Amino acid sequence: MAELLFYVLAAGTVAAGVGVIACRNPLFSVLSLLGAFFCLATIYLLAGFPFLAATQLLVYAGAIMVLFLFVIMLLNLGDEEQYAERPPFGKRGLAIAGASAGVLLLIAVFSVGFGSVSASDGDSPAVTSFPDESIDDVQSIAELLFSRYMLPFEASSLLLLATMIAVILLAKRQRGSGAEGAGWPWKKGVEQ
Amino acid sequence: MNVPTEHFLLLAAVLFCTGVLGFLVRRNVIVVLASVELILNAANLTFLAASRHHTALGEANLHGPIFALFVILVAAAEAAVGLALVIALYRLKQSVRLDAASELKG
Repeated sequence: MAELLFYVLAAGTVAAGVGVIACRNPLFSVLSLLGAFFCLATIYLLAGFPFLAATQLLVYAGAIMVLFLFVIMLLNLGDEEQYAERPPFGKRGLAIAGASAGVLLLIAVFSVGFGSVSASDGDSPAVTSFPDESIDDVQSIAELLFSRYMLPFEASSLLLLATMIAVILLAKRQRGSGAEGAGWPWKKGVEQ
Repeated sequence: MNVPTEHFLLLAAVLFCTGVLGFLVRRNVIVVLASVELILNAANLTFLAASRHHTALGEANLHGPIFALFVILVAAAEAAVGLALVIALYRLKQSVRLDAASELKG
């Protein structure tokens, strides 16, 4: 039953991923991305990672998605943008990009194989059954995070602080700027 | 759930290639950022599949979930900075198309 659900969710994830890059309207693209996040979170839950599933929903479907939708609605995109969109390099470039992505996919599929990872390779036994209980219990993650991964943890807090400052600086409208696009501190006196 | 690890990896590969294709062919900056999110999610799925595989082999493995956590964190920071850049680009060009910003083309 759970296996069937996994394959249904995998198909849903792929369909939503194709929807992200195929929709002309960016609003539909982002909503399709939301569907992909939900399917992936359920897959994490099925695979035994309830904490990661919750984090995925909170951060991706909660915060990042709101950010995307907020920017789309703030900029009032939609009408003119979806008609202006053409493939950037014409038909031939589109074919080349599709072919390279397809080749990438083929390389990935053949290097993964269809039974080579789970099969016994001599020194490790074959995997026949996966555990049903959850793998990522929060206490063990917290202990690892505050002992072995202390330095990356602190670095990530610095990264978030720097991100916050950068975003405020980038998105802030400068005081006294009359025209749109004017008032950049590094564009003072530069002819546009 | 007895889904073999290869199927997780195949799903991740398909997601990754979808993201790469979207990154290459779309002009809208917002869709390009969404494609990057797809790519990062594929990486997360790979980390979790590897961690699950090692747990099934008998050695409890939490490095996959922790790496996935850090990836989610970096993705949040990337989306915030990227969307701020989108707003700045729109203020400068009144457009979010990538080919609108071609000053460095020479």
